[in-house]
Amino acid sequence: MKNILILLVSFSYLMLNAQSSGTLTLQFDNMVGNEDMVLNTKNYKNAMGEDFNISLFQYYVSNIRLMKSDGSEYAVPQNESYFLIREQDPKSQTVTLNNVPKGKYTGIRFVIGIDSLRNTADISQRKGCLDVGGEAKDMYWAWNSGYIFVKMEGTSPVIELNADRKKPIFMYHIGLFGGMGDKKTLNNIKETKLSFGSKKLKVKDNTTHYMVIKTDASHILNGSTNISIAKNPSIMAGPFSAKIADNYNVMFSFGGFAKSLNTISETKTAMK
Amino acid sequence: MKRNSIFFFLIFALLAFISFAFQVKEGESLFLKPSNFPEPVYDFTKNPLTTEGVALGKVLFYDALLSKDNTVSCGSCHQQTAGFTQHGHVLSHGINDALTKRNSMPLANLAWFKDFGWDGGVHHLDLFAVSPLTNPAEMDENLPNILEKLRKTNTYPVLFQKAFGSEEINSERFLKALSQFMLTMVSANSKYDKAMRNEGVVLSESEEQGEAIFKQKCASCHSGVLFTDLKFHNNGLSPASKADLGRYDVTLLEEDRLAFKTPSLRNLDATAPYMHDGRFGTLEEVLEHYDAGIENNATLDPSLKQNNRIGIPLSMDEKTKLLAFLKTLNDDDFLRNDRYAEVSQAKDPEADKYKDVDWEKVDLQTNSPTIKASFKKAWILYTEIKNALIAENGDKASAAIESLFPIFNDIDKTAMTSMQRVFFQNVFNDLSFEMEHIADTKDYKHQRDHFGDFSKHLFRLIKAFKTHDKPLYYFHCPNAMFKRGGYWISDTEIDKNPFFKNDKDCGKIKMVLLP
Repeated sequence: MKNILILLVSFSYLMLNAQSSGTLTLQFDNMVGNEDMVLNTKNYKNAMGEDFNISLFQYYVSNIRLMKSDGSEYAVPQNESYFLIREQDPKSQTVTLNNVPKGKYTGIRFVIGIDSLRNTADISQRKGCLDVGGEAKDMYWAWNSGYIFVKMEGTSPVIELNADRKKPIFMYHIGLFGGMGDKKTLNNIKETKLSFGSKKLKVKDNTTHYMVIKTDASHILNGSTNISIAKNPSIMAGPFSAKIADNYNVMFSFGGFAKSLNTISETKTAMK
Repeated sequence: MKRNSIFFFLIFALLAFISFAFQVKEGESLFLKPSNFPEPVYDFTKNPLTTEGVALGKVLFYDALLSKDNTVSCGSCHQQTAGFTQHGHVLSHGINDALTKRNSMPLANLAWFKDFGWDGGVHHLDLFAVSPLTNPAEMDENLPNILEKLRKTNTYPVLFQKAFGSEEINSERFLKALSQFMLTMVSANSKYDKAMRNEGVVLSESEEQGEAIFKQKCASCHSGVLFTDLKFHNNGLSPASKADLGRYDVTLLEEDRLAFKTPSLRNLDATAPYMHDGRFGTLEEVLEHYDAGIENNATLDPSLKQNNRIGIPLSMDEKTKLLAFLKTLNDDDFLRNDRYAEVSQAKDPEADKYKDVDWEKVDLQTNSPTIKASFKKAWILYTEIKNALIAENGDKASAAIESLFPIFNDIDKTAMTSMQRVFFQNVFNDLSFEMEHIADTKDYKHQRDHFGDFSKHLFRLIKAFKTHDKPLYYFHCPNAMFKRGGYWISDTEIDKNPFFKNDKDCGKIKMVLLP
């Protein structure tokens, strides 16, 4: 009898606990400058004045933390904190965080890419968007084991063709997590920290909250180093990749809260 | 009630313990740490070996389904008899005969390695296979496709069920099964190992002297029982025109420019050619390189420029002794062990009876007209293949080889004595290996790399069975096959060299076989 009582008490405690959390849905909105990103058909210009269009844009976001004004944080559980955002897959741009504890949050921070621990984890730790035999198949370097953090490909008329380059394609694949053991590599892991400014995220029980994060891909090419597509049509695991990572470190911005996903797409349509 | 549950708990615990102990025992029989080896690096607790897991890994290892056009398996570039390298290839061939950047590395004792590949870019065995599977010059496939192809077969879901408890096929299971098979590849039964473990074998005087020289001059990099420090060094190879920067491409550190992993020295006789780009065909050339061929550049390993001398001084006598010692690292148990073989060869029940026979000294002459007729047909095809190679016509050589298979497969074994049959099977195993390689490509250059050994094994058969009724001339060209030397057979005293168009001087008669 006593046992049953304890069970009941702990069960109701769990129930209560479960109720004191809400859901946060992040909508990643990929842009180029102030314009919504359109693959293949839309022409863009970089800071060097070079025309280009984008055929593929995708990146990892991981280790998401919500910050409070008192300096404390809510960290999304490690195994649920890896997301691959792909421009060509609208579903992937919506990230849902369940069980966010009730409270008032002032900002968000996350890693652009994959942390070194998961980059070196054994194969059983690589599920979902980290599955090298699944979603991660084109976001993983097999020869220099590690995930690609940010990938942008496209074409540009400024690219000169030669024997090794038969099409005017540029490829920016940025990764490298610092290596492990004796193997030291570049470390291009970046963390972005976004403040909600004067607004606050008030997470309520059993409520879903919506937030927009804008990702401006023009920062891959423009920034502390303005990248010439003609000079660097292919940037991957070389030293120059660090320049691109420095550039894209600021590509994310807080895009406001919304009442529902619909209102987000409405705002987007209105903007166009 | 309470006592009952304790009782059940104890029974359960006992059962769990028994099954655990059983699994440990099974794991041990699949992977046993040799007593002269250190503790392995691979964490077996995360991927415990099971008979079914290893068996699945082996089927996968030898399945060409894993490549984009279903033509190349892991085993294509990692052949057991070649110490799991690609026999006779400077650079390895992938699908469509694409050349890779490097010479395939031997697979042995991988449980002790902490990184993989010539540049060590991969840090875990479970992740290594992804690299060759997806490299456009190797198997050019992607993992989701492979898994999908496996799921669609009738056999793999069953094999995965046996190995992992359900039919699900996913990356983790696929890669772990491959690792399981590769982990069983332990080479530790060379003469050196047996001497080290005092198993009744001792090194000869010159081998021991070679070992002493080795310890003094080579063991700083080729250290320990694995014969590698598992580190990366620039060993002074002059960079090829399209320079492969090796470890630098991974770390981007200046000091790693032109550095490559120290390879193990086990099974050297089988793993030619040598170096990351397979530039040396013989061990003599390798020793010559270390003595006098080293190029001094900025990142040359300090151990190769001591006492104001570039390279490692080696006298002729020292080289001879070193070579004698290096031969003690060959492990025939490993190279011939059926547990790693693509197809377990059907063993002749009488094979053991003749295992100590010196085949050179027994009379195996045949008088069977059916066998003689088969050899006559084979000889006509052999001449066709040889002429095709002289004419640099790969298509013709490949077609002629294809016609040769049925002749040997259908040879009249009922007309053989049991001794003849065992001998035939032994030689034919070697012969068909070379034949398959010639048939697999239409590139005459690649075919030439196998033609020398093909001729050698065919000559062994003709010589033993005495099937030829005219004199045969056995030629040898030392420059052929990356200077390992290649043989060919002719029924005339003067013959064109099938290995080189313009090397008329290479090729001397080694033996005349009289009818």
